[in-house]
Amino acid sequence: MDLDFTPLIESRQYLLEGLELTIVLSLATVAASLALGGAVGLARCYGPSSLRWFLVLYIDSMRAVPVLVVLVWTYFAFPILSGISLPPFWAALVALTLHIAAYVAEIVRAGITSVRPGQLRAALAIGMSRREAVVEIILPQAIIRMLPAFGSILSITIKDTAIAAVIAVPEYMKQSETVAGQSFHPIEVFSVAAIVYFLILFPVTRLVDMLYARVAHLGRS
Amino acid sequence: MNFDWTVIWRNAPSLAEGTLLTVVLTTLTMAIAIPGGIVLALMRLSPIRAVSAASAGFVEFFRNLPLILVVYWAYYVMPVAFDVQFSAFTTGLAALAFNVSAYNSETFRAGIQSIRKGQVEAALALGMSRAQAVREVVLPQAVPRVLPVLASTWVSLFKDTSLVSVIAVGELAYTAMRIRSQTFRVLEMLTAMAAIYWALGYPQAKLVDWLHRKFRVME
Repeated sequence: MDLDFTPLIESRQYLLEGLELTIVLSLATVAASLALGGAVGLARCYGPSSLRWFLVLYIDSMRAVPVLVVLVWTYFAFPILSGISLPPFWAALVALTLHIAAYVAEIVRAGITSVRPGQLRAALAIGMSRREAVVEIILPQAIIRMLPAFGSILSITIKDTAIAAVIAVPEYMKQSETVAGQSFHPIEVFSVAAIVYFLILFPVTRLVDMLYARVAHLGRS
Repeated sequence: MNFDWTVIWRNAPSLAEGTLLTVVLTTLTMAIAIPGGIVLALMRLSPIRAVSAASAGFVEFFRNLPLILVVYWAYYVMPVAFDVQFSAFTTGLAALAFNVSAYNSETFRAGIQSIRKGQVEAALALGMSRAQAVREVVLPQAVPRVLPVLASTWVSLFKDTSLVSVIAVGELAYTAMRIRSQTFRVLEMLTAMAAIYWALGYPQAKLVDWLHRKFRVME
């Protein structure tokens, strides 16, 4: 097997720009998902019950439909329906955020319900308002339990940005595909891509493992 | 702007074939990945350092790579490495099976390790052989713990089969997007694709919730 890495060296600027976009898209998606998912999760636990069926429908729909389908629909079908045409990066950001926010909402819900109901009752009994009880007592305990799962969300997001290559977002996976196609050296290009993704994701999954180990003893408090 | 929703009915047989292939791919992958996961989990728990490290390395490798990259990589490397021309289906199946085996091995390992060591010690003290202890004491408790997680993994796998569409395996996503290209009916076909995945995936997700409730472990 003759390996020729020169196409990679020649296209390094191109690939680095892709890598930069992967990181930007991942961080933007995580931030937006945490915001949206947090809001949905809180609304699911503490919001009006008339809203609940809609939120459950949203969350379960995102569990049922693949990321690829959400990405492709947002980029190709949504503009036809609404007349708003999204550039690839923004379509990917919207689609990935919608998909991942559903998982964040479930994590938030699980974190909040893992705090014993007695805590809320005790807080209300000593005269705190419902809002004070949630913000001062429930959330601080819940958020610590959510942290490992949020780390997992970062890992999942970075992996899902690679799927955005199918709607031509010029992130690292897409740039690798282009270089592989033009240079006819797909093995070298994709092997390097695998190493790069591994080097980015390995610290994240290590961090997640460490967080889980720290939090495991908490159980239901 | 006119929509032609009849394009979905006219292409229903193709879509049905694509759906069938998605289901077949999911089933075959799980059929390989469950025994694969058990083997990897037992390797990881082995006292032999080399075996344990090999399994850990395999699992870490697939935990830290996007599946779409694994699919592309398998597509280009496997023919060269094994000097055989594999079909796209086989390549996709291999990539999915390796990936899910890695996740399953962690599930099985967690399930086995969640059974308190005292149980095995008590069983051995009662005079059971090691094999009897595993069969009569450990497995009946480990299986209900592992089942809901396996079901979750199944649903994730079902969605991930859409990724092998990038190497032209004719499952649902590929079929729907092919019909879209041929008929130019973008909104209709993409919505149909989303609706079919939703119709198949939603009950599966609800079933997983039911399994989690039914097999919930209270210690």
